[in-house]
Amino acid sequence: MEKLQITLNINGKDQALLVQPNDTLLEVLRDELDLTGSKESCSEGICGSCTIQMDGKPVRSCLTLAMEAQGTKIKTVEGLANGDELSNLQQSFIDHGAVQCGICTPGMLMSADALLSETLNPDDTTIRQALSGNICRCTGYSKIVEAVAHAGKPEKSCPDCQTKE
Amino acid sequence: MRLPGFEYLNPQNLDQTLDMLAEHKDEAKILAGGTDLLVRMKKGLLAPKYIISLKALDSLSYIKDESDCIKIGTRTPIADIIASKPVQKHARALFQACEKIGAVSIQHYKGTIGGNILQNNRCHHYNQSDFYRSGRQACHKDGGKICYAREEADRCNSTCQSDGATALMALGAGLTLAGKDNKREVELANFYTTDGIMPFAMESQELLTEISIPKTNGESAYKRLAYRSAIDYPIVCAGVLLESDNSDKIVRARIVVGAMGRAPLLLANAASKLKGKDMNDQATFKDAATAAMSSAAAFAVHNVGSTLEYRCAMVEEMVLQALKEI
Repeated sequence: MEKLQITLNINGKDQALLVQPNDTLLEVLRDELDLTGSKESCSEGICGSCTIQMDGKPVRSCLTLAMEAQGTKIKTVEGLANGDELSNLQQSFIDHGAVQCGICTPGMLMSADALLSETLNPDDTTIRQALSGNICRCTGYSKIVEAVAHAGKPEKSCPDCQTKE
Repeated sequence: MRLPGFEYLNPQNLDQTLDMLAEHKDEAKILAGGTDLLVRMKKGLLAPKYIISLKALDSLSYIKDESDCIKIGTRTPIADIIASKPVQKHARALFQACEKIGAVSIQHYKGTIGGNILQNNRCHHYNQSDFYRSGRQACHKDGGKICYAREEADRCNSTCQSDGATALMALGAGLTLAGKDNKREVELANFYTTDGIMPFAMESQELLTEISIPKTNGESAYKRLAYRSAIDYPIVCAGVLLESDNSDKIVRARIVVGAMGRAPLLLANAASKLKGKDMNDQATFKDAATAAMSSAAAFAVHNVGSTLEYRCAMVEEMVLQALKEI
């Protein structure tokens, strides 16, 4: 099949790519650009492990054609950290033990990051609603919700973060 | 999972879109958000030759608050409808239904209201992988002559599980369909065929462009039952509309039950139990809900999960809860 030339803005950088019309954004990210943070799990829009952000909103990249992503600002989990320095949210996930097997984590981070960029100090219900499209098969939801809540309010004293220097 | 190959068409305006549809007809499919279409394509349930993307058609994304109705463009994201003040005020059932569609990451700018209405009927014997379906004879919807959901059925019994359509039918909504040379309006309640293979009474060269919700003095509500609060399709849902006069007497009632048949079921018999009764008469609500259950039970087949008995029993509960909420 003929390949088409497109430009995608990924993590702040314009990338010129040759794609097939039936390439999903997830396939382009993982296979063409080696951005393997976003995971393919169910591939039919249920689990949320492929969640990335388009124009600041969490979107399932397995159900987005690469062609359709042109002209939007795409952010993947690789775009969260500032160089070697993890974002507050990522650090909070580590401090609170919110990562078990890790497959859902990139999607959880992108959904949570989108929530925190819109809502300061979200409450428990808001966090759970924002993460409702992300499934954790290790069922470690409590820790994830705690981690997001803490990232929204980093100044709060928190026993889980005592190990941090 | 890989998508099958297709040619991607990217029309820049409505006329171009309708031209393309008229040219390619059944070989083309419209792509709005893709949350239903792409999943079906991945499962090998359809392989269109052309995909016509509505990405450039921002003119189909709007909510207009007019004096006698609310008009919603077909490509309007679900999230915009949830955030719309006129919808919250005049069409609460739709607001409540939209809140339940998919999850946050599907609602904004991927999932659209047009796509929700036109989401294809589902059946757990049909919405399966190629591999699963290859192990048995094809069912009606798959091009065969068998129905696994109802023995000896002469047609497809797949179920319409759209939240949006159920709420919109309760609100008495109408649709605008545009073709290359014609444009027509149809009541949502008359928009369905009686066959699950092609549940919608529309031509392949037509495009759903607008949904119009008449404003009434009534109140509406929507309730649904699903396994999980997010992502899942409803296994039973109900939308109701009640209009009363000054003395709290019900002058108009609409009861719609969804996820029980090939289309949302507008149950006139159940609604008639409410006419002329008092708005606060809980016993009448119960009567109407029981009537809704017996009417809806005739249509349902065991094909969207849970047992048929449970789903039928829950019709009464969903209708009752929706009525009580008003």
